[in-house]
Amino acid sequence: MKILFAIIFGTTIAYQGLGQKYFTKNAKINFDATSASSPEKVEAINRSATCVLDTKTGAIQFSMLMKGFEFERALMEEHFNENYVESDKFPKSEFKGKIKDNDDVKYDKDGTYTVKVKGDITIHGETKEVEADGKVIIQNGKITAEADLSVKLSDFKISIPGLVADKVSKTAKITVTCSLEPLTTK
Amino acid sequence: MKRKKVIIYIIITVFILVGIAALYIYKEYTRTHTDTALLKPDYSLEATSLVKAFETDEQASNKKFWDKVIRVEGVVKDVIKDEKGFFTLALGDTSSMSSVRCSIDSVHSKEAANVQKGSLIAIKGICSGFNADELLGSDVILVRSVVDRKK
Repeated sequence: MKILFAIIFGTTIAYQGLGQKYFTKNAKINFDATSASSPEKVEAINRSATCVLDTKTGAIQFSMLMKGFEFERALMEEHFNENYVESDKFPKSEFKGKIKDNDDVKYDKDGTYTVKVKGDITIHGETKEVEADGKVIIQNGKITAEADLSVKLSDFKISIPGLVADKVSKTAKITVTCSLEPLTTK
Repeated sequence: MKRKKVIIYIIITVFILVGIAALYIYKEYTRTHTDTALLKPDYSLEATSLVKAFETDEQASNKKFWDKVIRVEGVVKDVIKDEKGFFTLALGDTSSMSSVRCSIDSVHSKEAANVQKGSLIAIKGICSGFNADELLGSDVILVRSVVDRKK
């Protein structure tokens, strides 16, 4: 009886460990639209994006507030919010997708797993399907997820005024980094 | 002779005006953000009240608080330090998943490093909006935040 109980209990724990939801409210999203002719870096960081990963299905989701992007230059940040992404009209951006090769990631074993992430990204009220290269790093049971993707600003109806058109890249590089914790619902 | 003098005056005036314009453009271009510690808050309230206001009516609260300097008081639920030394402080009801999450201005990291979980503090920051999630709870986000004073 004791053995049966141990097997059932052990299996349940193992199942939960492999098929659990992980999250963070401190995902970092780096935005870089620096072009070859930019006089300085056109980049910003958002340090308060949320991310949820279901390790069982590979479903991954990000959500961020556009006003949360911090630029070093105040004028650059004002232009980003007011003229380009119109943060007052479109305050949030999100990504909903899946880790394509989730079955290859052994969440219970330390290692760095190279993956492809595919899903829909919504910026400036426009939704596009994107695919990104990513990494899932497992270290001492902790999960870190990283991804790099490039988005064409015109795909999201973000127009750059002619006066600064050559100073801002037409394609923005977005880098995501997040350390995830197990999600325990109260 | 008189005509020559007028031309010289015009040239000098144009040079001065161009100089002033160039200085203005340079100053505006290189302008950095004003330290939040020096800004007067537009609104001052309890962290739990701010979360409740957004939960009750997100649209109206966005209109009222978005991009404004907010001073919130509340219990520190969490102190998060990332690998680069940036701090985020979460304020609010400890029994709830929802919080006011304050991303601390790196210039003021030292003050944040001394904050203890469970203590009562006041924080000033710029409201960047509301992030609601069924699973994760609802958070009001403040950026460029500074610890205002301990209660």
